[in-house]
Amino acid sequence: MAHAVDTTFPDTIPRGKLNTRDLNAGQRLAVKYFSVAMLLFIAQILFGLLAGLQYLWPDFLYNKLDFNVNRMVHINAMIIWMLYGFIGSIYWLVEDEAGTELVGAKLGNLAFWVLTAAVTVVVAVFLLVQTGPGEHQSIWLINEGREYIEAPRWADFGIVAVVLVFFYNTAATFMKGRWSGISGVLVLDLIALAGLYLAGMFYSSNISMDQHWWWWVIHLWVEATWEVLVGCIMAWGLIKTLGARRKIVTTWLYIEVALMFGSGILGLGHHYFWIGTPEYWLSIGGFFSALEPIPLVAMVVHAVYDSGVHRFKNSNHPALAWLIAHAFGNFFGAGVWGFMHTLPQINLYTHGTQWTASHGHLAFFGAYATINIAMFYIAIQKWRGGVFMGSGIPHAWRWKWALALLNIGVLGMTMALLISGYEQSFVERALHGSTWAGYFEAQRSDWFVQGMVWRQIFGYVTAAGLVLLVWDLITIGKGETRPAEEPTATTVINSNETLQPSSA
Amino acid sequence: MSMMTEPVEAQQIMLAAMAGAMVVLFGAVYAFLFAWSKLHKRPVIMLAAYLSYLCLAAATVALAFALHLSGFWLIVVFVMLVGYLLAPHAIWHLCEGTHEPSTPHGTDEITSQPIPLEIKQ
Amino acid sequence: MSSTPWWADQDVWRKTAIWVTSLMLVALIMLTFDTVKQITAGSERVPAYSVINHRIYYRVDTERNLPAPVIGAEAPLFGVVLSEPEAAALVDKGKLTVQAKNCMNCHTLLGNGAYYAPDLTKAWLDQGWGAEAVREQLMLNFLMDPESNARGYGTNRKMPDMGLTEDEARGIIAFLKWMSAIDTNGFPRNFKPIKQEGE
Repeated sequence: MAHAVDTTFPDTIPRGKLNTRDLNAGQRLAVKYFSVAMLLFIAQILFGLLAGLQYLWPDFLYNKLDFNVNRMVHINAMIIWMLYGFIGSIYWLVEDEAGTELVGAKLGNLAFWVLTAAVTVVVAVFLLVQTGPGEHQSIWLINEGREYIEAPRWADFGIVAVVLVFFYNTAATFMKGRWSGISGVLVLDLIALAGLYLAGMFYSSNISMDQHWWWWVIHLWVEATWEVLVGCIMAWGLIKTLGARRKIVTTWLYIEVALMFGSGILGLGHHYFWIGTPEYWLSIGGFFSALEPIPLVAMVVHAVYDSGVHRFKNSNHPALAWLIAHAFGNFFGAGVWGFMHTLPQINLYTHGTQWTASHGHLAFFGAYATINIAMFYIAIQKWRGGVFMGSGIPHAWRWKWALALLNIGVLGMTMALLISGYEQSFVERALHGSTWAGYFEAQRSDWFVQGMVWRQIFGYVTAAGLVLLVWDLITIGKGETRPAEEPTATTVINSNETLQPSSA
Repeated sequence: MSMMTEPVEAQQIMLAAMAGAMVVLFGAVYAFLFAWSKLHKRPVIMLAAYLSYLCLAAATVALAFALHLSGFWLIVVFVMLVGYLLAPHAIWHLCEGTHEPSTPHGTDEITSQPIPLEIKQ
Repeated sequence: MSSTPWWADQDVWRKTAIWVTSLMLVALIMLTFDTVKQITAGSERVPAYSVINHRIYYRVDTERNLPAPVIGAEAPLFGVVLSEPEAAALVDKGKLTVQAKNCMNCHTLLGNGAYYAPDLTKAWLDQGWGAEAVREQLMLNFLMDPESNARGYGTNRKMPDMGLTEDEARGIIAFLKWMSAIDTNGFPRNFKPIKQEGE
């Protein structure tokens, strides 16, 4: 028989209201991470809207909250909320997966508050102090000034310390309990995740050297270790929400790791075309970029196979819908939009233009926002006492419209930015010789400006979707008394019986 | 010799980008139809799958022309054409292999032993 | 054991994942050793900081079929020839300032950053400075008072006042001059530099 996250509840547990007491220690920690992740998600969208407005009205907040500040908070809030989501997701599953209690719940709690306090201070300094003099103390205390990893150096040490606590908690819990294929991959991936961050923690006056190592953090996080992390969460999610069989899921996780790391590690080369690095990276980057869609094609075949061979009954409709959005978003954002401009012959025109912004919006949302939101729904279902979240739940329009608006909004922004990006690369690079005059010529052109207007409109659509999502996550399952259905995969015998958490 | 030889011409930026997008899109359509046809044993759909592959191949050729690919880059094009053609076959085969019922109560995959840690790092 | 064929076996794929990952990592590490050597300041692709004592041209390298930097005759920045350590210190000041002022969240450098303001990779060689003779002074004026010297080319976009000191501004100019001499494999495409003496 299959076990769901929710079937561990005896009927005596009240359903329909928040039951923190009945979550295990890892899950109690997870919902804290998820809550802060949502707050940061809101911050990401807010500051994105501000930055987008400045494209249309450059005088808006000029010399008060300039574009560079808004944009920095926009992208940093994104990175941090996704990390919060990942950490939360792993705390959510760790006890279940290890079959024992979390080893260092108190330590984990402390680390959560330290990290959250540090994030608050960093954001406050970003907003209030903004920049500093051209001295080392500025990049230690205020702002490192490197895209995505702007957090000042003191915070870097804090982040590493917190990640180490998180790593200890995860690895030690598995060590005390039991190991599975998923947890093995997960723990190794976390080592890589923490180790790679160190590559971004030094200063160099040589911009080529700076960006060479900076890409180790950004690319190898986003296109390698994060993907595998999501693979682990997804694998666990499939077992839990669809009752997929563990052995199959684990084998496919290994296959995915082989494909992802096989194409993704040297895929790093597509960032080494134009930063002073040697010419052989043009070939290496081009070759491995051509391979990067292969894992995605593999997933298409496998998804069709699965849907036909097994009869899945899923217990959490919003979560499953977001997992499907993840599959499509990852395919279009990373696959289609990535490959579109990745070969050096075309990247020479598109690198450093709104093309990158177009790709970035769809890929980050499609690959990472979606899976985190799916986890939020899995969490809220149990947090409310394991309530029914199948078809016909009250106010289902909320989650459906949140899903629709968020996806339409991001897709709309992506298309609008693509139009602006095309206009920019054509006017600036092709016609005007990549000069400043050419840059501004492109920024003034009708198509570019139209693209920016539509980006802003779809930004509001995204924001509306987010408001609905927050509302739905706060209210879904409230007052629901029906218990959750059990997820089942009828053609296989589920192997999960022995995997019950400490609640047993 | 430059590893890049000749960048795309300005007029063909959009063509090249769309061709690139079509390669991946038709790759997915081909994979989808291929799997669908296998699943429901419908040879007609398999015909559609291979038609999609032909579109993929056309997009790849268009990409190669737009980007003035030559030398090393033609090898990449060749690898892509062969890779996209065979990948769905291989993955399907793998699906059938991995989903074969083995031990009925698959508790075998949970161990109390740590997975060897010399991996990766 | 089971009827699973060997090529679909969980263990085989675990080992494959480990081998593939290790192989790729080893390849990456080997390439990294070579790359780091080639991008160390003072190499062929990334020049020594004292390059700011010279004129920097772009000429088409017919063999590579792309425009590549050519170091010309002496043309010291702000009229003073600097030793290598002095030049390095000045560029360093500029780079630190670029980070501390968060330039990268409006501009791109080597194409990376934000897209709200022009790319800075070859800003030193941009035609917008008009003539070689006035370039340094114009850059200094602009950096120290960007609002009055706004260069928005008909857009309303203008750089905010970053409160730069003259030392910081000079450092930034040195950093920009040095960066413009990095061999970027022809990025940005079609770049048409300012007319300089000796061309």
